[in-house]
Amino acid sequence: MHIMEGFLPIEHAIGWTAASAPFVAYGLYTINKRIKEKPEQRMLLGVAAAFTFVLSALKMPSVTGSCSHPTGTGLGAILFGPAAMAPIGMVVLLFQAILLAHGGLTTLGANIFSMAIVGPFAAAAIYRLAKAARIPFGSSIFLAASCADLLTYVTTSAQLALAFPDPAGGFAASFAKFATVFAVTQIPLAISEGLLTVIVMNALLRFNPLELQDMNVITAQEAQA
Amino acid sequence: MLTEQSAYSNRWRQVSPVAKGFFSLCGMVAAFTSSSPRAALLVSLTMTAAAVLGAGIPTVRYLRIATTPLLFLLASGLSLLVSLDFGNPVTGVSLHMAQSEIPRVLQVSCRSLACLTALLFLALSTPLSDIIALLRRCKVPATLLDMMTLCYRTLFVLSEAVHETMTAQSARLGYVSLPIALRSLGGLVSNLIVQVWQRSMALHTAAEARGNDGALRFLENRYAGSPQHITIAVASGVAMIALTVLLP
Repeated sequence: MHIMEGFLPIEHAIGWTAASAPFVAYGLYTINKRIKEKPEQRMLLGVAAAFTFVLSALKMPSVTGSCSHPTGTGLGAILFGPAAMAPIGMVVLLFQAILLAHGGLTTLGANIFSMAIVGPFAAAAIYRLAKAARIPFGSSIFLAASCADLLTYVTTSAQLALAFPDPAGGFAASFAKFATVFAVTQIPLAISEGLLTVIVMNALLRFNPLELQDMNVITAQEAQA
Repeated sequence: MLTEQSAYSNRWRQVSPVAKGFFSLCGMVAAFTSSSPRAALLVSLTMTAAAVLGAGIPTVRYLRIATTPLLFLLASGLSLLVSLDFGNPVTGVSLHMAQSEIPRVLQVSCRSLACLTALLFLALSTPLSDIIALLRRCKVPATLLDMMTLCYRTLFVLSEAVHETMTAQSARLGYVSLPIALRSLGGLVSNLIVQVWQRSMALHTAAEARGNDGALRFLENRYAGSPQHITIAVASGVAMIALTVLLP
C-alpha cells in the first residue's frame, strides 16, 4: 500500500515527513544503543532491511486467488522490535522507490508513517496484549500480523482522504471510498499474511528456538518448552 | 533488476551524482511549482528526454520500467474521479463521476507524472552506491547509511537464495495449491530468517577480523569534470523551475 510519487499535495508531504521524523530518530537512537551493547546488531539490522525488501517482493497467493505481496511489517516488528522498524522501513521504502519505482521520494514520509510506524507498533502492541491475555501463540501472531496490515491500509486511506476530501461528502465520504477500493485487495492480503506469519513463527519455534531467544522474541523458558 | 542495469551502464554513469541528484530534485520542485497541467507535462517531457536522449536509456526499457507505476497512477487518478454521496434519498449511498473534480484530478495526475519521471531519471542514471555516497555528503546519520549499505549488498544474496529455494520447492510441487503454497512460502521465509541471522553473524565476525571498529567506510568514486556538470545541472534545473512558475 504505497502512495504514489508526487500524489500528495506539498503541505501533506511535508506534514507526514515531519510526523515520521521523530519516530525514525527514536528508532535510530534505540538502534545505536543496541549496537553499543551488542556490536553484532549493526550487521543484523542491515541484513534485516534486505530481508524485508526481499520479503515485500515475494508473490503471495491470496485467498481470493489474486496475487499480492506481503508487507512484512508484523513479522519485522515481532522479530526486530517496533522501534527499529521505523529506520528499517525507511531504508526499505527508499530502496523500493529507487530500485522498483514503487512509492516515491516526496511521499516517503507518508509511506513511512503508515507502513513503518503504525503497522509495526500496532503489531507489537497486539502481540504483547495477546500474550498477556494468555491467547495461544499461533492466534496472537495471526492477530498481530493481520491487524498490522489492516491498520496500515486504514492509515493510507485516511492519508489519501485527508489530502483529497470528497467535494460532496468531505473526509468521511472520501475515506469510505478509498477504504472500499483498497479493501478488495487488502483484506485478503491481511488474512494471507496473518496465516503466513503463523507458519513462519511456528517453523522458527520448532527448528530454531535458540535464534528466536537471541533476538529476544521468546524467553529461555519458552524456548525449552 | 532492470533499473540497476541501466544505472550502471548508461551514458551519464561518469557524470557527478551531485549534478544528477540536483537535477532530479529540481524536477520534483518544478512539478510542485507548476501552476497548470501543461507546465507539469513539460517537466515530465524534460525529465524523460534527459533520461532517454541524454543518459541513453533505451526507450523500450524505459517504458517497461515506467508501465507499472503508470498503471498505478491511472488507478489512483480514476479513484479520485469517483465521488461517493451518502445523501442519496433512494439508495442511501450513490456513486457518480465528479465533473467538477476533473481539473483538479488532471493537475494531481500531471504533477505525479512529473515527479515520477524525475525519480526515474535519478534511478536510471545513478547507482544506489552513488546515491548512498551522496546522502553521506548530506550528513545523513551514519547508522542509517550503514543499514543502507548492508541492505544493498545483501539484497542480491537473499534474492538469489529465495530464487533457488523457490525452484527447489516448485520442482517438488510445492506451489500446486493454495494451502501447500502458503506452507512452502512459510518454510521459505523461516529459512530466510535463519539465514539473515547466520549471515549477519558471519559478516560481523569477518568485519571484526579485519579490525572494524564501528561505521562501515568505503572509498568514494572521483568524477572528472564535476564542477562543469554541477553548473549545467544547477542552471538547467533552476531554469526549469522558473519556466514552470512563469508559464500560465
